[in-house]
Amino acid sequence: MPRDLIDDKPPFLNTWGQLYAAIVGYLFFLIGLFYAFTRAYQISP
Amino acid sequence: MRTLDWMVLILSLVTIVGYGLYRGRGSGTIQSYLLADKSMPWWAMGLSIMATQASAITFIGTTGQAYVDGMRFVQFYFGLPLAMIIISATVVPYFHKARVVTAYEFLEQRFDAKTRLAASIIFLIQRGLGVGLALYAPAVVLSVILGWSERVTVLIMAGVVVSYAVPGGIKAVTWTDVQQMMLIFLGILGAFFAAVWLLPSDVSFGDALYLAGASGRLNAVDFSLDPNNRYTVWSGLIGGMFLALSYFGCDQSQVQRYLTGKSVGHSRTSLIFNAIVKVPLQFFILLTGAMVFVFYQFERPPMLFNKTAETRMEQTFEQAGDGLAGVQYQAALQQYNEALAKRRDTAYRLLEARRNGSTGANPGELQDANRAVEAARREGITAVELAGDGRPYDDTNYIFMTFVTTYFPVGAVGLIIAAIFAAAMSTISAELNSLATTSMIDIYRRHFHRGATDRHYVLIAKTATAFWGVYAAVFAFFGGRLGSLIEAVNLVGSLFYGSLLGVFVLAFGFPSVTGTGAFTGLVVGEIAILLTSWLTGISFLWYNVVGCVVVVATGLVVSRLSRSWFR
Repeated sequence: MPRDLIDDKPPFLNTWGQLYAAIVGYLFFLIGLFYAFTRAYQISP
Repeated sequence: MRTLDWMVLILSLVTIVGYGLYRGRGSGTIQSYLLADKSMPWWAMGLSIMATQASAITFIGTTGQAYVDGMRFVQFYFGLPLAMIIISATVVPYFHKARVVTAYEFLEQRFDAKTRLAASIIFLIQRGLGVGLALYAPAVVLSVILGWSERVTVLIMAGVVVSYAVPGGIKAVTWTDVQQMMLIFLGILGAFFAAVWLLPSDVSFGDALYLAGASGRLNAVDFSLDPNNRYTVWSGLIGGMFLALSYFGCDQSQVQRYLTGKSVGHSRTSLIFNAIVKVPLQFFILLTGAMVFVFYQFERPPMLFNKTAETRMEQTFEQAGDGLAGVQYQAALQQYNEALAKRRDTAYRLLEARRNGSTGANPGELQDANRAVEAARREGITAVELAGDGRPYDDTNYIFMTFVTTYFPVGAVGLIIAAIFAAAMSTISAELNSLATTSMIDIYRRHFHRGATDRHYVLIAKTATAFWGVYAAVFAFFGGRLGSLIEAVNLVGSLFYGSLLGVFVLAFGFPSVTGTGAFTGLVVGEIAILLTSWLTGISFLWYNVVGCVVVVATGLVVSRLSRSWFR
């Protein structure tokens, strides 16, 4: 395999598929966190 | 700016140039000058990708946006991690395998020369306008804030960038991006902690969050389905993903960053790094803007954050005291000062009530007080627009810088200004580098001069980088005369990205599509975006979705028809 086509392992987790799934989970965690933040400080009269 | 600020700024600029020249030495071949010999580690590419996207206006405009409109802009970035995953899984290995220097070179391998040429020209037009704006917009703000001429700020930024981007190529650009991004991180952190630290001693961070929330500035997430609402979770996830796919997958200014990777894995990791960091970073920048808003509940904010406009209005009143605009402005100013005093009292009473658990004040009063301040400020802005023959006035980009230069301690001002210069230069350098690459690889080498030596092509690439640098400076020199065209330029990216993305989707996802199908799709998709822009009021984030879908559908239909005709 040519040098620039070597596909290293992801920096964490075992496969790229697992890493992508973790990133999707992380994104939805962030959206949930931001939603909780919005609700916590959404102060109505 | 005091002596220490100047020292921080000058030291930062000199270090950036010196480091860029040092890192860029030995770039004598095309592979080296344009692809860094494919030697870059993931973290350098990751920071360079982030620095390229983070322009100066992103930095100063985003904090201003939170001040004016709250934190809902963060949703714009929700689609970015999804786009990074898609690009990492599909585009990155394709580009590496194809051994291309530009994204558009791949289109010729997959389709034909006309599709490559059309995509290259679209990129050159769009990014050419973009680089002019990337230089002009911060130059205007910095010139007003620092009291320098616009031309001085333009020349400093363009001169510094050209001085290392021309000799050093992509190595210089990427390594200085790393340095610049670290400076930007430092600037953002410093700005956030300073904003919290500068709050009155009896107002805690928790109090500040409470007041920001009561004022509707912590509205980070909105699930509403209104397509005319620019920033919702849905427009961010879907429209933002398409925009990020277009920008990071089809725009040479970004593609070239991750093509320099040591391996597919390094390129992928650089994108994943952005997927992880970008959304929290934007949240943090917006939260800084919200803190600035709370700070100004207790300190008097200027009615106009643009000092030049403020001075002009005062002169208007002095010279023609009974002129309509001047009188209206003075009346608005009085109303504004009264509204501010009332708002400060309300904020204190609200905090007192919160601490004591009493009902001495309620958040509705603060919202009313904010509305009164805003109404008075709008009156003042109307007067400014009246005095300026109806030219729209918007000072969102001046809010953060006014705060920094007025209240930050000595040295910190220099640091923030240096961070803003860094943000501008990192974007401009990557854009000059990619414009030169496309000009040389896709136009010059492909259509005018094939088979020359590496030395010749490197010389042409250097000349093209210098040319685009001069072009950007000339654009920025005359930026003030372009008036509302500047706003149109802002829209240009959205007008072209969708159709470019569509062509790449056809290239990667549909093996049966022909060159004629892809080219026709590109043209029809572009027309569809322009019609959508002119005939509907939907948010620009959706243009990318429209363009991409039309290109793909047209490409598939035309390819199928052309095959059946020739059969």
